[in-house]
Amino acid sequence: MRTPVIEAVDLRRTYRTTTGAFRRRPLDVEAVKGVSFEVGEGELFGLLGPNGAGKTTTIKMLITLLLPTSGTARVLGYDVVTDAARVRERIGYVFGGERGLYERLPALDNLRYFAELYGVRPEIQKQRIGYVLDLVGLTGRERERVEGYSRGMRQRLHVARGLLHDPPVVFLDEPTIGVDPVGARELRATIAALTEQGKTVLLTTHYMFEADSLCDRIGVIANGSIIAMGTPRDLKGVVADRTIVEVEAFGVSDAAMASLRAIPGVASVSVEERDQAQLLCVQSHKGVELTQTILGKLDGVKVGRVAVREPTLEDAYVALVTETP
Amino acid sequence: MNSLRVFFVGGVISYRALFNWLRPEIYIPTMLGSPIFQIVFFAKLGDYAGVENDAFFVVGNALQVSAMAGIYGMTMTIANERYFGTLSALLATPAPRLALFLGRAVPLIANGLLISVFGFAVGTLLLDFVLPATGLPGLGVILLVTAFACTSFGLLLGSIGLRARDVFFISNLVYFLMLLLCGVNIRPEALPGWMQSISYALPLTRGIEAARGVVIGGRPFADVAPLVWGELGVGLAYAVGAYVLFRFLEVEARRRGTLETY
Amino acid sequence: MTATAAVRTETRLLDRRIGRLLVMGWRFHLKTLSQSSFFILVSVLQPVIFASIAFFMFRVGGREGTLLYAALGAGLMGIWSSVLFGSGGAIQWQRWEGTLELLVTAPAPFILVLLPLSLATSSIGIYSLTATLFWGVVFFGIPLQLAHPWLFALAVPTTVISLGLLGLVLASSFVLYRHANALSNLLEYPIWLITGLLVPVSFLPGWVEPLSWLLAPTWGAKSIQAAALGGDPRFPILMCALLGVVYLLIGSRLLRLFERLARGRATLSLT
Repeated sequence: MRTPVIEAVDLRRTYRTTTGAFRRRPLDVEAVKGVSFEVGEGELFGLLGPNGAGKTTTIKMLITLLLPTSGTARVLGYDVVTDAARVRERIGYVFGGERGLYERLPALDNLRYFAELYGVRPEIQKQRIGYVLDLVGLTGRERERVEGYSRGMRQRLHVARGLLHDPPVVFLDEPTIGVDPVGARELRATIAALTEQGKTVLLTTHYMFEADSLCDRIGVIANGSIIAMGTPRDLKGVVADRTIVEVEAFGVSDAAMASLRAIPGVASVSVEERDQAQLLCVQSHKGVELTQTILGKLDGVKVGRVAVREPTLEDAYVALVTETP
Repeated sequence: MNSLRVFFVGGVISYRALFNWLRPEIYIPTMLGSPIFQIVFFAKLGDYAGVENDAFFVVGNALQVSAMAGIYGMTMTIANERYFGTLSALLATPAPRLALFLGRAVPLIANGLLISVFGFAVGTLLLDFVLPATGLPGLGVILLVTAFACTSFGLLLGSIGLRARDVFFISNLVYFLMLLLCGVNIRPEALPGWMQSISYALPLTRGIEAARGVVIGGRPFADVAPLVWGELGVGLAYAVGAYVLFRFLEVEARRRGTLETY
Repeated sequence: MTATAAVRTETRLLDRRIGRLLVMGWRFHLKTLSQSSFFILVSVLQPVIFASIAFFMFRVGGREGTLLYAALGAGLMGIWSSVLFGSGGAIQWQRWEGTLELLVTAPAPFILVLLPLSLATSSIGIYSLTATLFWGVVFFGIPLQLAHPWLFALAVPTTVISLGLLGLVLASSFVLYRHANALSNLLEYPIWLITGLLVPVSFLPGWVEPLSWLLAPTWGAKSIQAAALGGDPRFPILMCALLGVVYLLIGSRLLRLFERLARGRATLSLT
């Protein structure tokens, strides 16, 4: 059994904040409650979960930015707490967002600086910078100031920066957030190509289709704990025996939702707010024809499109997050 | 009646919201700590240069520091509202503009007064300075008028800040220029003619002169009253100027849709 | 390759790496700072205005002969302001820009990342000295005659580097505190006073002088004043350099401690 490249064992992280306006009382918030997983060489592992689930906190512990309150983690065999320097030499990390770059200078200057910081050998710096710029599609724009870059371009520059020193392990925190669809698609292709080069990648995201298409294995994290782990196929298996009824509705009340949940054979009901309407997703066990019953419970509510379909990873995710205690 | 309510309630709430650094660990070093050292610095510099006496610098700097509280306060008020995006929400209300912004001025003026008093206390404790009891009522009036004039000036700067990008730069620059030009450490007469004209166009200059007259020279208030009237006039001129500029910019921004862009 | 030869190559590579990091980082941060309007204010406009105040005050008091002294004093005040707001403030600014995390997690030791930054902030101070001297010569007619020009040329960089190292100590203290800005504002005037940049320490209470000897700006000021106006700058230059080494040691210890605490308390990211 080969040693895992990334190894997390019962990681926990508690934050101390304060509550109250006048007499501030300390409050302990446990953001990560005992997370364990392993990622093998060349694998693309995804941490999937809603906002506030603990994804970013977990990844910060792995990249040595935060100390775990308890538990251990290792990257390439090096402990993230005691051997932080060695971990940092071997990882690249990219986080989503507008910030994290020196705005008033050109992209090229930014990359040169980080190349030096990451210990890229002087004789190959120029070549590496050219390579990463090409990889993310920014060649020709490197002399422009970062402050003029669009959101998508900044994100690509972040990725370029993370790859400068050719790290064997790459961490990406919500890499396509806020990026336009075309740019995001190109970014995903770049990320997928990383594992082809033999790199190990850990990705956090809350986009289902991204996790589904990119990841070899996924860990679903909610409320600070991992509630499911497996390949996208395994996870879909959770809902493999289900049928999904999608109803476009206008103004579904809580009472209506409760009555839907009460129908025998219904596994879960979730609602997604769209612009004008809501999309109701009722997961029920296969073999039970429930469409009429469902519509009956929605009597009085204006209803649009109704569709019956096979479950996707998103449904598996919803099932896991809402049904797990 | 509505104006008064807007004036008081709006002022107090906004002050607390925007100046949430009212916590002692920040207020004390920023508002009270720096002034102590500024006063001592210039008094000692004056001592070394063989110019005037401690009292001259205590009065000048104590007033300047309170002036800056008003100016920074006002420019920050407007800049913060714009930063937090509340400015457009505010302008969408039917509240009368003058009451709105002058309401924000009251806590700043009060703060300014507190700081000058503190400055005088520092002068008394650490330097060769005594505050004569007889001059106090007159001094009180001078402080109030000067604080008002400087806050109005701050209002004008803040309104300019709606257009300019870097209000912080402007208010800091003004701080240094006032140290040089408003008679804080050098009598305007000792400056070249063209600088003197600027001195008297700015607030604070007449206020300091009047305060020195009363506190150091022991002159009766009636003697310095012309200066006080002058200071009041300057303050009103800036308030009106600010109001006009603000309305103009507001209308233009509404037409061009630029209030949010920064 | 023999073991000793291998070690020697390793050390030479390491030295080269450290050298590159320092020089490259210094140039990079000098470039970023020079683009900032705030630093133009602090390093050029502020010292020039303070110099003018000093010039007028000295002129009124009849101290004509010491205008050069005033120009140098204001320039030195400018160097301190740049270091104070630059080193302490730069940490906060890195935090806002979101780059602090990147700097801490880079494989390069954090001290080699922070040191070029503080050195850049004190180097900006050269603009201050140049500006106040230029201003004095052009607008106030100060004759620019230096008593010991070569020693002056040595005193200035020594002061700048030593102040940069003091900046390192400041920076490593400010890494953890969110409200370090309030403290920065408080340290400007007192240090100007205590280190006798413009007002000689003899004008302050007696207990201040021994305190001033612990601060590099005191010796830097003495060395620059002696080199320009007459006197022996060599002992002050030495003291300045010595203190610089002390600051380097203190700074690196502090840095390691604070970095560990910051990872534990998680105050490295946004305000």
